[in-house]
Amino acid sequence: MLPHILPKENFDDFVAWLMTQGRVAAPVAKAPNFSFDVLVDKDDIARIRMDYDVTILPPKKYLLPSYETLLDFNGPAPENVRAEIDARPTVLLGVHPYDLHGLQTTVAAFSQDPADASVLARRKATRVIGLNIASYANDEQFMADMGTVDPPDGVADLFLTDIGDRYFVEIGTEAGSEMRRACDCFRPAGPEDHRARQEYDERKAANFKKRLPYHVRYLPELLEASYDSLLWDAVARRCFSCGTCTNVCPTCYCFDVHDNLNIDAASGVRERMWDSCQLEVFAEVAGGENFREQTASRLRHRMFRKGKYILERTGKPGCVGCGRCSVHCVANISILEAFQQIAGEAAEMHAT
Amino acid sequence: MAEKPKLKVSFHDFTSCEGCQLQFLNCEDELLDILGHVEIVQFREAIDDKSDEYDIAFIEGAFTRESDRARLEHIRKCAKVVIAFGACACTGGLNVLKNYRGVKEAMRTVYGDQADWYETSVALPVEAAIKVDYKIHGCPVPKQEILEVVKSVVAGRTPRIPDYPVCVECKLKENACLFHKGQYCLGPIARAGCGAWCPSYGGRCYACRGLISDPNNNAAKDVLEEFGLTVEDIMQEFRLFNGVYDVAQPPDNAHVKSC
Ligand code: SF4
Ligand code: SF4
Ligand code: SF4
Ligand code: SF4
Ligand code: SF4
Repeated sequence: MLPHILPKENFDDFVAWLMTQGRVAAPVAKAPNFSFDVLVDKDDIARIRMDYDVTILPPKKYLLPSYETLLDFNGPAPENVRAEIDARPTVLLGVHPYDLHGLQTTVAAFSQDPADASVLARRKATRVIGLNIASYANDEQFMADMGTVDPPDGVADLFLTDIGDRYFVEIGTEAGSEMRRACDCFRPAGPEDHRARQEYDERKAANFKKRLPYHVRYLPELLEASYDSLLWDAVARRCFSCGTCTNVCPTCYCFDVHDNLNIDAASGVRERMWDSCQLEVFAEVAGGENFREQTASRLRHRMFRKGKYILERTGKPGCVGCGRCSVHCVANISILEAFQQIAGEAAEMHAT
Repeated sequence: MAEKPKLKVSFHDFTSCEGCQLQFLNCEDELLDILGHVEIVQFREAIDDKSDEYDIAFIEGAFTRESDRARLEHIRKCAKVVIAFGACACTGGLNVLKNYRGVKEAMRTVYGDQADWYETSVALPVEAAIKVDYKIHGCPVPKQEILEVVKSVVAGRTPRIPDYPVCVECKLKENACLFHKGQYCLGPIARAGCGAWCPSYGGRCYACRGLISDPNNNAAKDVLEEFGLTVEDIMQEFRLFNGVYDVAQPPDNAHVKSC
């Protein structure tokens, strides 16, 4: 499918058209950060910030909301139980490549047996419009190492690259192709446009320097070698176990399900809420035993999940290098720094 | 099937502003539903008749006078379930501040030359006098937690009370962190359950719901110090609502509780 051009003067009309297709979530300012927010009416189009750096929460929240109701029940019998799936048609506008990778990981995790009906229903009802980035937004990002600088195949229906007074629009899916046909804001891309798009990629290549001192393929083994390192204790001394790092992460998907009973103790709702492996209460199992009692082992567990376990299981990094966990950690604990430090740790261990 | 007799609920106040009892009345929408299952027998804010027969006693306010002890013990004897209701009852609340000024000095500030007419001593949580079964933290208590505790006690199950930091709820609400705005906040060690009330309105968290059970106090001191606060500032911050915890005690000071 050949690329098209969306002139910026048509951008507002394009968004207005998207709003006829479903609710539109787009990046807006949330000083001093940004967040994805649903546009309420046409006046809200002016709030869109296509120049945003990175949002506090990833767009994952539209597939897996931080709180949701799964069931509604009026008694234990099956006929009294009603599943509630809120899967409204939704358009995610302006999703950066690392977050497109994050969405892919989320969907992969919830597609595993037993597949999660509500997350998958929401994915089906969601159109995604990606947005290219030309450089890092801060010192904590390392997408070049994690292979998430460019979008994954088949996640974004349309993928926009800002080439001055217009967006270069790549069409990624059949649904994207239909959108392009149905909305009259586009024109076919010409030679000038193609050239500008090529130049954008050259700038990208120059800007996105790798930040790990080794190739990411060695990350799982280096982590393995650092398992007993004192590094984890040293870092954990500052850790609050506050869960911020996992709550802002595009690839975390732990949740907690509980029944919220009404006072009659028979009716109620089953709710799901995000959970975090960093919380002291998370690993508490029946009997009150906590198998990751120490802050240091919880912290190490997170780093291992991000850099080893998920990579080994799915072949895709469990971390997309977005830097959110580090930027939002009040204790300034940086996953990039930890991944950098383990290289030295492993070398030392081998020397002895 | 015979109707189950309604559980009798009573409210008792000690040293407090009675704001927490008002919060209970604020649960208007749910109150009717609750009243289908419990009967309120003693509630100064709402009705007059007094009764000593109750199953569930809500105690609001701090234990600040030795003469409170007998009253508290009496409530403990009458009630099957005792609930410490609000920061004042759970931790002593703001009242604990006076412990740091010295009780005499605090009395002089409040009552002037009439200070000697009144009886008072250090402010303590209700738990310092009697065993409590549940605590509903907060100044004031959050509505959703009142409902959770009432529903659970009626149904005979353990209420779900968060034991994780306010930061969790703050991030789930996608608030910009106050630390990013150059301010500071006790959210990383404060007990959640309020829906990150204060940061959601741009204010910092003073941990009015007390601290989580295993707060990383050293990290808190380090991080706050990096934000330019002195140890004394940090102690003040902790003390506002959590003066009874060790973390609010300067390292070289004997336990202030006994002053
Ligand atoms: S955000 Fe930082 S302090 Fe909080 S749990 Fe994660 S690493 Fe620890
Ligand atoms: S672990 Fe941190 S850097 Fe990696 S994807 Fe999650 S939030 Fe982004
Ligand atoms: S906890 Fe706060 S609102 Fe509740 S009674 Fe005490 S001072 Fe008043
Ligand atoms: S504002 Fe306070 S509660 Fe919210 S994330 Fe920051 S430190 Fe935590
Ligand atoms: S944010 Fe902190 S101070 Fe505010 S209500 Fe919650 S616990 Fe209390």
